[in-house]
Amino acid sequence: MNVGVDVGGTFTDAVLLEKNLVRATAKVPTRRDLLVSVLEAIDTVLKDVDVKKLERIVFSTTTITNLIAERKYKDVALLLIPGPGLAHESYNFGTKAYILPGAIDYRGREIIPLNDRDLELALADLSRQGCSRVCVIGKFSPRNTSHEKHVADMIQKKYPSWQVDLGSMIGGQLNFPRRVVTTYLTSATRVPYHYFIESIRQAMTKREINADVFILKADGGTMSLENAEELPVETIFSGPAASTLGVQALIPPGETAVVVDIGGTTTDLALILSGQPLLSSKGARLENQLTQVRTLAVKSVPVGGDSALERAGKDFIVRSVRLGPAYCMGGPAPTPTDALRVIGLTELGDGVKAREAMAGLGTPLNLSATDVAKTVIKMVVDRIASEVNRMFLDWEQEPAYLVWEVLQKKKVRPNLVVGVGGGASGLITQIASRLRCEPVIPPYAPVANAIGAAVAKPTMQISLRADTEQEYYIIQEEGLQGKLDRRHFDEKKALELAKEKLIQRAAKYGLDVEPEEIEITHREVFNMIRDWTTTGRLFDITVQTPRGITGKVLKGGGYDEKTQM
Amino acid sequence: MKKLKCKQTGLIFFPAFDWAISPTHPEREERLLYTRDQIFEEGIMDLPQILEFKPSLATAHDIARTHFCVPRVEDQTTEAHLIAAGAAILLADKVVTGQIENGFALVRPPGHHAMRVVHGNRGFCNINNEAVMIEYLRSRHGIKRVAVIDTDAHHGDGTQNIFWHDPDVLFISFHQDGRTLYPGTGFTYELGGPRALARTINIPLQPGTSDESLLYLLDNLILPILAEFKPDFIVNSAGQDNHFTDPLGSMRISAQGYAQLTEKLRPDLAVLEGGYAIETALPYVNMAIILALAGLDYTNVREPDYWPGRFKESPERLGQVRKLVDQLLHYWQLRDQVPPDSRYIQGQFYERDKRVFYDTDYIDESQLERLKLCDHCPGYLSIESDANHGSGKSGKVKCLSVPFAACSKCRSEAANTYHQSKHGGIYRYIYLQDKSTDTFFGYDADSGKEWHSEG
Repeated sequence: MNVGVDVGGTFTDAVLLEKNLVRATAKVPTRRDLLVSVLEAIDTVLKDVDVKKLERIVFSTTTITNLIAERKYKDVALLLIPGPGLAHESYNFGTKAYILPGAIDYRGREIIPLNDRDLELALADLSRQGCSRVCVIGKFSPRNTSHEKHVADMIQKKYPSWQVDLGSMIGGQLNFPRRVVTTYLTSATRVPYHYFIESIRQAMTKREINADVFILKADGGTMSLENAEELPVETIFSGPAASTLGVQALIPPGETAVVVDIGGTTTDLALILSGQPLLSSKGARLENQLTQVRTLAVKSVPVGGDSALERAGKDFIVRSVRLGPAYCMGGPAPTPTDALRVIGLTELGDGVKAREAMAGLGTPLNLSATDVAKTVIKMVVDRIASEVNRMFLDWEQEPAYLVWEVLQKKKVRPNLVVGVGGGASGLITQIASRLRCEPVIPPYAPVANAIGAAVAKPTMQISLRADTEQEYYIIQEEGLQGKLDRRHFDEKKALELAKEKLIQRAAKYGLDVEPEEIEITHREVFNMIRDWTTTGRLFDITVQTPRGITGKVLKGGGYDEKTQM
Repeated sequence: MKKLKCKQTGLIFFPAFDWAISPTHPEREERLLYTRDQIFEEGIMDLPQILEFKPSLATAHDIARTHFCVPRVEDQTTEAHLIAAGAAILLADKVVTGQIENGFALVRPPGHHAMRVVHGNRGFCNINNEAVMIEYLRSRHGIKRVAVIDTDAHHGDGTQNIFWHDPDVLFISFHQDGRTLYPGTGFTYELGGPRALARTINIPLQPGTSDESLLYLLDNLILPILAEFKPDFIVNSAGQDNHFTDPLGSMRISAQGYAQLTEKLRPDLAVLEGGYAIETALPYVNMAIILALAGLDYTNVREPDYWPGRFKESPERLGQVRKLVDQLLHYWQLRDQVPPDSRYIQGQFYERDKRVFYDTDYIDESQLERLKLCDHCPGYLSIESDANHGSGKSGKVKCLSVPFAACSKCRSEAANTYHQSKHGGIYRYIYLQDKSTDTFFGYDADSGKEWHSEG
């Protein structure tokens, strides 16, 4: 038996799955004390269940996203080694940063050595200011970690109590500014994240649950609790990932679908292409901060059931703020929910009040309540539908660097619009018809996110870079550098080495992986030719444990028609 | 501070990591690998000043509007060629319609050695990306005057050939002296056809020329000529083999030199040409050009073995560059006052013989090019071309090209010649390319089949 728990900003949802059948669901308000909400949710679904039979419990959360959005985290100082390139003035990350002289090039060769005197001065300055959290990030550090490691060693010697994070361990892809942001957020959110993890640990102890505990990541995979504490930033965006996985588990296999999660003030969109959630080609974006965090392609549109409506001249505006609940539910301002109530697309709230809200907007323009409601719904539907189309367009327009990539990408459009979440279900039919799709509101739609968490599987990946001319390889996720023999190293060896390292890393985190189930997600081999002869080969290989969900979820118990939309 | 722009710089990065002329050829998969690493690591694509696009394919007609591919477009192009030319077209389109400030097509394969008639690959090029893009702009957007500034170390003989008789396209190329480098042309006396005199300007430079001379001739020759010519669109054929580390060229230009050149020239579109110092030059020069186009600070872009003042220009060399500039300015001033050389006039036509050697494919081509000297328009062009592929097998082709601004008389005369040439058994293939109506006809004399396309 598996449990999925989604700790959202407003509600904490939980489901209990037994052999892919839903046995119980829960939806409770999220309270200030996370422990209370978590206990309340799991107690509801585990009622009458022997906790010894629980195998896994998976949590997803928007806690980290919120922490970052509200900038509720500790100050961190940055030691940057950017070398030549973009002007150093352009590196402004909103926190204290020191630029250290030194540089590594694209092949991992040192082009400017570090200077210990400059380093010592920077450290002394930091110490004077009482700083104790430091991130060390070098340009091209994933190709050669020696500069970052040297700085870390120096700090270890002089200030052993400081917490140090290295860019090469956290942001292994090629993108220096994103590596800085990812490392910085990892370091900064570690302490508050610890509180979330502790709440979960306490809940597990209190209920004597010994099952494996996982946290959902933004890319739809999971990681163990200890692991998550090391890399909290990986779990940002796990909220949208949860509902997308939930939909993947609830709709027939192989479908191309848009997941539309209409909330109070925002609508989250995600794509499922031929049964697989679409991964973003770039890392997650948080507010205006670009990271290297692998994430599903999700888009948040600032329109929801409780968005405040206003009149401006002859037009209406859907504002991106929530002033309270819908007018028909006792709120202060007219909202799209009132419009839905007037048209009869929802049964929520007081119909008379809803008409009042719409009429109030329409009277000065001589429009009836029904006319206003229709206009407002059309506006909201148009907005969401055009954002969906833009997502597909963006996906089609993603840059391609190979001839076959340019040639093979086809125009794809969805056939299903799947509505999840609690808000404004009446809109789904309208959005679907605008997109010429079939509308689907699956069973358990209000707790699809918790289902997504429950069906998520652990994932892990390893990126190998090998340079046979320089006779070295590097495992980016581990910051591990090793020697290789150029005479006996080829593509087959490179693949074997990558797989071996993945199995080792997986074992370290308690994950069993069979070599034959490992997926190759990136494979690049270049011959290096100097003066017409081959002097070496460059290999870039990424392998991962299989992505996917534990299985399709079917209707079981805990299914209450009244909680459906 | 640099000027603040509201519009972005468009970028298409198409390294064609799965395309090569041959495994060890300079034009191979690896060429833009380190450039990719550098611009990705710098986070260039995330900069708010940069907008990255995915390339689209040029159509066969886009190619046929510019080139005569023998026997057909499909025989001279791979998908990689269509993508590279398509990338230039896409960015030019975005510039002209005001969606971006300027653009850089960082693409391969290159194109500036590809001439009007294409029998094969020469100088690593089959299709002239810039020329295809320019003819697209003129035909689709009614762009009138275009300037091409070719900054590759090799003379852009293909582009020169295509626009030789075209008074509305100014072609300026500086390059390493043709006596010391492929393709062996690009001397000061190559000034364009009789109706487009000094719309071709060649600036041959001695091996070892560095930034100072380059910027001198930019300020004192290229920019003043541009100011007088008043182009609607400026293209930079941005070859990077003038770099001091290039294995094929022997010049001494730095990344900083390229950046300053780009900043002063302010091209609407830069298109990558050559440059084969794939590790020591390309990552830095490409970065520098991108930053300069985007109006960003490029002063911190520096090759590992470069320091300011490393290359000092000798007073003698500077003196020679000054003389060269004065001489070319003089030609430019005389551009509309020189009558066609009577030795080359045959009846109503201006004739020249040409031999073209295709170094990559070992093809020897001989051409008779005839320009109709028309009083009402730039005149149509008739080319007889015979290519020897070394196998002894060859077939003559006849190509008729009608310019954008053609008069009705030239148009119908060219069409008549096309139809008459179908019979008589002299030519294996006959082509009619009419830019004024954007149509193309081809005729295979052996099978008697005709095909055509239009824009």
